[in-house]
Amino acid sequence: MATHLVSVLNGLAMGSLLFAIALGLSLVFGMMDVLNLAHGAVYLVGAYVAVALVADGAGVAAFVLAVLAAAVAGAVLGGLLAALTRATTHHLDQALLTLGVALVVAEALSLAFGNDVHSIAAPEPVGGGVTVLGETYPVYRLLVIGFGIVLALAVYVLVERSPLGSVIRATVADRAMVAALGINTGRVLVGVFAAGAALAAVGGVLAGPILGAQPGLDEKVLLLALVVVVIGGLGSVRGALLGAVLIGQVQALGTALLPEYASFLVFAAMALVLLLRPAGLLPARTGVPA
Amino acid sequence: MGVVSVFSLTRTVAGLAVGAMLLSGCGSSLDESGGSKAAGDQSAGAVKVGLLVPLSGVYAPIGEDLRAGFQLYLDQHNGKLGQRKVDLVTADEGEGPQTGVPAAQKLVTQDQVSAVAGVVNSATALGLRDFFDESKKPLLIANAGADDITGARKSEYVWRTSFSNGDVSAALGPAVAEEVKGKVYLIAADYAAGKEMVAGFRKTFEAAGGKVAGEKYTPFGKTQDFQPYLSAIRKSGADAVFAFYAGAEAVNFVKQYKQFGLAGKTQLYGTGFLTEGGALAAQGTAAVGVKTSLHYSTELDSATNKKFVDAYQKAAKKPPTVYAVQGYDTAAVLDKALAEASGDSGDALVKALAKVGSIDSPRGAWKFDADQNAEQQFYLREVKSSGGTAVNTVVGELD
Repeated sequence: MATHLVSVLNGLAMGSLLFAIALGLSLVFGMMDVLNLAHGAVYLVGAYVAVALVADGAGVAAFVLAVLAAAVAGAVLGGLLAALTRATTHHLDQALLTLGVALVVAEALSLAFGNDVHSIAAPEPVGGGVTVLGETYPVYRLLVIGFGIVLALAVYVLVERSPLGSVIRATVADRAMVAALGINTGRVLVGVFAAGAALAAVGGVLAGPILGAQPGLDEKVLLLALVVVVIGGLGSVRGALLGAVLIGQVQALGTALLPEYASFLVFAAMALVLLLRPAGLLPARTGVPA
Repeated sequence: MGVVSVFSLTRTVAGLAVGAMLLSGCGSSLDESGGSKAAGDQSAGAVKVGLLVPLSGVYAPIGEDLRAGFQLYLDQHNGKLGQRKVDLVTADEGEGPQTGVPAAQKLVTQDQVSAVAGVVNSATALGLRDFFDESKKPLLIANAGADDITGARKSEYVWRTSFSNGDVSAALGPAVAEEVKGKVYLIAADYAAGKEMVAGFRKTFEAAGGKVAGEKYTPFGKTQDFQPYLSAIRKSGADAVFAFYAGAEAVNFVKQYKQFGLAGKTQLYGTGFLTEGGALAAQGTAAVGVKTSLHYSTELDSATNKKFVDAYQKAAKKPPTVYAVQGYDTAAVLDKALAEASGDSGDALVKALAKVGSIDSPRGAWKFDADQNAEQQFYLREVKSSGGTAVNTVVGELD
């Protein structure tokens, strides 16, 4: 039993990271109808920022610096992507455009950092483990869970309880109406795109000590983020949170209970949700009938 | 809007699939370094050799090391093998048979090479077997480890200078049975190599009186978080673990093995790929104490190896790996065979390959066995920290 509780804990850590990564993808998709396939590449940029800035045995300062640098790099990339995708309104064009950007970014990273696997050390003070329910558990992952909780609360307050949040939600619901009220929806969209990409890049740094950085990781992360978005429902903060926590648990607890089916579990969960609730578990409320 | 978005998602995914197909289609025709001066270079004495190694995809680091090793041998011998100028044509193997097989076919049919060396992926090697068997050209496998390549599916045209999966792990079995009093848990990536590694280990380990606590295969290439498996290992009460992973999975497995507190309590054994080259560099001190079996270590104490390590370090600006040695030795084998061969035909080369005898290599002397596989010494290695960097020290020889 204790073993499974540790798996639950681990699922929460993965869920926290997935939430940070999938949130931007979900909001951008919900708001602008842009499926940003470069989202995984933005994540990888964050991971390599950590490779460059966090040396083995580095302290908290270097790690915080990496988080800030990744956030800036992510925001810049997100802003660029927002500008690029506004050039065309066709979904397939946008998807191919962002896929192209993803390939270019991944190749550039591979040229700059090589094809080898890189690992990122957790900051020295939290690099060890504590005993949880009789098993050693890395302190760093507990901090990641804490980060996930803080992020969820902050995003909830920002999106659900602030004037800016109401503009964001209204833009998801009915962009034309918001524009008619005299609000520059273009700026809102770019802002959300940049913020979402910044979060993904920060996710890359924070996931570094757990997943490392290597070519190909961007695709794996993008796929998981897409699953989270599909399960949670598009354009919804609560949906992204629920989807991320759910997928985190499916990955950790599901693998512990049904190891033979480990590789199918995530997609089985997605298929189940699509069958029962095609719009996702908690889709954004919308003013435009589908 | 929900429904609309699901539709657009479907369309997008379809678009992606098309994009991916286009991309993989182009992959094989890229990277023809050297291929430009194809024909017309058949001056007396020159010989054309194809090097088929992954330059893109997940195996690219292995491909780079193989190529650097091969190139180092060429450079040390004035670009000649068997006293003949070598025209080396490199092709990108990519990640699997869908790119590797056409690239090899291009080397043989279009570039008209006399022999092909390289091949990292076992599926590619097995996929190429019939082609080389029928076109009667020698294929020197410099890495791919599937047992069948020099076993059930062997061909007189296919020679392996590297290793077979089962042999590497089988060498470790008796040593672990002797060192570990209790039970051993077996874990590996869920694909052909993982299964062969575990089967090879299990056979000799149990024959030597060892007891197995459990056996688990993790989804290959999809497992980033090993916590559920590590918990299962802990619960099994095993006293030691035998693992096979390579690349990114090896890094994550060894690091998490340490993070979740198993290192130091439960001895970790594995085949050398667990702690080789880039993987070891990324694992750093988390790998200290891991014991592995392999046919090479940079720390081997021989004059040949010391000279090789120095030369490689100078040329590649990093320490060599087992893959670099395999590339180096493949060139050495070709050197001997070309010197011996009467003519460039595949059959003449194969006849000469049978006569190359013992190869004086950085890994120690080795020769081809009756199955045309490398017959060599395996070493027990332990990762130790040497001035902050982790290295595979040689503990002893395995028999």
